[in-house]
Amino acid sequence: MIIESTVIFAIIAALCSADVTAFGQFMICRPIFCAPLFGYLMGDINTGLWIGMIVEMVWINAIPLGTAVPIDIASISINATFWACKYYPSIHEAAICALLFSIPFAYFYKEIDINGRNLNIGIMRWVEKGIREGKEHRINTGIFVSLFLFILRAFVFYLIVMFLGGVIFQLIYLQMPAFVIAGLKKAWYLLPILGFGSVIYNFKNIRIPFIKR
Amino acid sequence: MFKVYGKMFLKTFFIQSLWNFERLQNIGFLFVLKPFLDKVYLNPDRRKEALMRHTGFFNTHPYMANIIIAITANAEKEIAAKEAAAEKLPDTNFIKSVMAGPLAAIGDSFFWGTLRPFTAFLSIFFVILFSKVLDPSYSWIVPFIFLFTYNCVHIPARYWFLSISFKLDKEMLAVVPKLEIKFLGDMARYTGFLLVIASLVFYFKIFGFSAVHTNFLTPAIPDAFVFGIVLVVSIIFGRMSATFMFYSVVLLCVLMSYLGL
Repeated sequence: MIIESTVIFAIIAALCSADVTAFGQFMICRPIFCAPLFGYLMGDINTGLWIGMIVEMVWINAIPLGTAVPIDIASISINATFWACKYYPSIHEAAICALLFSIPFAYFYKEIDINGRNLNIGIMRWVEKGIREGKEHRINTGIFVSLFLFILRAFVFYLIVMFLGGVIFQLIYLQMPAFVIAGLKKAWYLLPILGFGSVIYNFKNIRIPFIKR
Repeated sequence: MFKVYGKMFLKTFFIQSLWNFERLQNIGFLFVLKPFLDKVYLNPDRRKEALMRHTGFFNTHPYMANIIIAITANAEKEIAAKEAAAEKLPDTNFIKSVMAGPLAAIGDSFFWGTLRPFTAFLSIFFVILFSKVLDPSYSWIVPFIFLFTYNCVHIPARYWFLSISFKLDKEMLAVVPKLEIKFLGDMARYTGFLLVIASLVFYFKIFGFSAVHTNFLTPAIPDAFVFGIVLVVSIIFGRMSATFMFYSVVLLCVLMSYLGL
């Protein structure tokens, strides 16, 4: 493993999460990038690539359009890759089990994100009041405070989930019956097919260029 | 002024930092516009008025916002140049509200709905190839293929939207429909779809007919048979929640193992 500390992994995860809305949108938050990144840092890039591929395809239509806040697929891929590579590297069944465990946490993170955006209303009003009173510097302060709080929220979430969730995942995986483990191994090969199906469904009304309808 | 444009461009990456459910990107918009307002409004009272004008609701695609920012900045420059209140001034909020919706639709459709999936499909194609066909020790290149192909379109597009809109001002709105974004989008979607089909073919070839991985039913029946059924079912039930489908497939696999298949 290149980096041992969970704290450093939580910081990297928080920075990747900030890319979803708060800063840049360079797509470092996408599963196909952040899962292999974590896999590489933990010494098992191929597990990360496979997890990233599955999550990217299955949740292909999870797009933040307008005010909609979709499930946080970055946290699915980051947590699953982290747990799988830390506790059971290169074991496909464990990677699928980690994916199963990480999905409820992604819904939880979505709620945290919604609360954060509500908290931003207060910061926005504080900035507006400042402008009215001639304190223009509040615009910059408001932006950076909001960005800092976003990263802090994500960091605390990842730190707790990576550590506590990882311990629970490790214990539960060891207690699983043999037939469940065998089923998870099959799912490693079958889930990409679900992803392909999801992609084909979402792109079925494709227009062929050069042929006018 | 070039320094101001550069500052504004860097600040556009923060446009959604203070995204809120009440007025969405309003402060982000103001954050980007502020260096320009500081330059054109030397009187603090007039600058305060200008800043207050932009605290209202604003929401569009974060990349396409650069067009609106530049056009609004030009309008503010015009307002700053006119001293008398009686003179006809451009309504900046009207300009913003009229442009935000259509540009958001273009941005969502092209960047979120086309470019991002296209670059992801390209990377997925390589994931499949690196799993068996190519040397897996070079698989680290895959995430960089994704990041590079996406950002070599995204970052120049963002810069171009800002710089050209400063030059063309409102004429930019006539230029956007002529950009053939729809054609480019169709091309990218079509190519992306072909990549998905190619990836699927490779996947079936590598994992569907090989006995070394796993046997879903009996060794006599290739895994491609189960793959085909799951593929057809996932296309038919594509409208259902992705999470539900994910858990259903895992449950199906566990059930098959329990039944000894």
